[in-house]
Amino acid sequence: MSAPGPHVLVVDDEPQIVRGLRVVLRNAGYSVEEAGTVREALDALAVRPPDVLVLDLVLPDGSGVDVMRDLRSWSALPVLVLSAVGDEREKVRALDAGADDYVTKPFGADELTARLRALLRRVADGAGAEPLVEAGDVVIDLATRRVTRGGRQVHLTPIEFDLLRVLATHRGKLVTHRQLLRDVWGPAYEDATHYLRVHVAHIRAKLEDDPSAPRLILTEPGVGYRMASPA
Amino acid sequence: MPIKGRRIFCTLVAARGVAFDAGMSYRVARSALEVIVGVALGIGVVAALDVVAPIQGLSVVPLLVVLGLAIRRGRAAAAAAAVLSVLALNFFFIAPRYQLTIADGQNVAALVVFLIAALVVGHVADVSRTRAREAHERADEAAARTREAQMLAAVAGRLLVGGSLAVERRWIEAEVARALAVDAVRIDLAPAPSPRAPESAVRLPLQHGAGWLYVTGPADAERIAEPLARLMDLAVERERIGAQAAEAESARRADVAKTAVLHAISHDLRTPLTAITTAGDALAQPGTSDADRAELVSVVREESHRLARMVSDLLDLSRIEAGAVEPRRDWIDLRDVVARAIAGVRAMHPDAVIAFELPEDLPLVRADAAQLERVFANLLENAVKFSAPGAAVQVRGAASSGRVTVRVVDHGPGIPPGQRAKVFEPFVRLGERRGGAGLGLAISRGFVEANGGRIALQSGPEGGAAFAVSLPLAPSPAPVS
Repeated sequence: MSAPGPHVLVVDDEPQIVRGLRVVLRNAGYSVEEAGTVREALDALAVRPPDVLVLDLVLPDGSGVDVMRDLRSWSALPVLVLSAVGDEREKVRALDAGADDYVTKPFGADELTARLRALLRRVADGAGAEPLVEAGDVVIDLATRRVTRGGRQVHLTPIEFDLLRVLATHRGKLVTHRQLLRDVWGPAYEDATHYLRVHVAHIRAKLEDDPSAPRLILTEPGVGYRMASPA
Repeated sequence: MPIKGRRIFCTLVAARGVAFDAGMSYRVARSALEVIVGVALGIGVVAALDVVAPIQGLSVVPLLVVLGLAIRRGRAAAAAAAVLSVLALNFFFIAPRYQLTIADGQNVAALVVFLIAALVVGHVADVSRTRAREAHERADEAAARTREAQMLAAVAGRLLVGGSLAVERRWIEAEVARALAVDAVRIDLAPAPSPRAPESAVRLPLQHGAGWLYVTGPADAERIAEPLARLMDLAVERERIGAQAAEAESARRADVAKTAVLHAISHDLRTPLTAITTAGDALAQPGTSDADRAELVSVVREESHRLARMVSDLLDLSRIEAGAVEPRRDWIDLRDVVARAIAGVRAMHPDAVIAFELPEDLPLVRADAAQLERVFANLLENAVKFSAPGAAVQVRGAASSGRVTVRVVDHGPGIPPGQRAKVFEPFVRLGERRGGAGLGLAISRGFVEANGGRIALQSGPEGGAAFAVSLPLAPSPAPVS
């Protein structure tokens, strides 16, 4: 082992999955720590906070959502959720509680490591600090609230701009419907997902080359939206 | 006086004879008798008072008799009494006496006046009697209607509150009998009437099918047949809707169960699948060390095995639920079967402590050895899984009252009473979810029942769980010579 890579905590109670994950993550340069229960996970997080957390949702003594809630009260470290089909509700709850992204079991090793890389890069970039976000030919100036596409200014309504701003400041990260609605419209509108459908469609019409095959604002069905990571 | 008395007596006897000879109905005979007795009494009183008062004044007495008879027996009796009284007065008291001729024209006029007065009095009295009777009948009728209405209300209440027609029929019959003031009422749902000896049959016009009301005793049951039939229709309809609702509810529950099953399958199949894909990806990476490779290969093998077992469990379960398990029954020694199951469990759990305590004289049973081996393997694996490391799992057995029973007893935490009824249902997990999809006990029950046996969960002696498998004792095979 050369320079110690990022430290990852894997929380999963299935030892057979952990045995494979351990090798995959070590090969990708991570130093791996493991926990099998909510309790062990919270202990490990407190004793030696990792750079990134991989969290299974179904644990013998509780849910990954419990870990998320506790963690987010004192840390913003990036979290990747492992979920299975049938866990959708728990997955959305975990994301609403502050998890950054998810992969669905069974997942490929490449997909997992790519997601972890993206999460770590976002942290390294100090996401949200830049006033100028460039995505392809679209440039979003968060300070002046101006958006240009191919150098020409694009007119966005205040709601559309706020929506775009939330996604841009969490670039690459999955933002849940609930979080978008809360940040743009307010806590009373957390269930008004149809607002999102309409306004996202308007933004795509203004900023995407082909609004039916979006490359800037990506849909995560049933969960939320994400702005594509910088290539 | 004695002579008069005798003659009256003779007339009376003669009149009675006429009444009987004519063969009149009882009522007419009774009226005739009362007319004769009444007139005789009236004439007797006149005879007694004859010495102190003029006959014209005394004619008021027979008039009272006519009045009384008009009230009691009606107009015809009153008229008969009037005529008879006139003849008697003429015969006994008007000169010439003891003849039906009248000498004095004044007396003729008096008798005619008397007759007219008697007929008028009789008529008036009869009219008022009829009115009184009608009023009485109306009161009776009203009372009967009230009883019927009360009965219908009671029946409606009972049926609409949820009583089923089959359950409430006896009670309804008693209520109807009380309302109709008859001895007995019988309700029968049949297309054709079949009344018994004294009963009269009334059709109940039901919407679906036909029913009959059999009444023992005189009553107008026609009137209540229609409303009673409507109530019965309502009850039938309500029961039908209730059955539909129950059906819908059970369909909904089956739906919920199906969703749970899908969820369980997706979860349980996905776990080994994820372990295998992750290990496979790791194996494909060039940087993986040889030690890691060996580890990953064992993950792939173990999880493939687990996956294969889950799939075969699911197939077994679907065969059991489809009733497609066909045991190949033969004489088997449960000691052999359990010993093989123990060997299998020990191979997977080398540290398991299993005490084989089946008696040597355990009788043979007729069953499918392979299926029962699966059953005991499942039970033993469960017991081992829930036992603390090093704690013994015991297999005990005995034959009693026509059955051979084998118990797998553990000293684990036991199963809370609330969950005991559910443990044999598929996809119900005991405690932790690790390992298996919660199919083991459902499959065990399926196999045991297919082999004519029973499986039950009992409380272990020290708080653990005890699963008892009992099989019927078959007649002994011919002794081996």
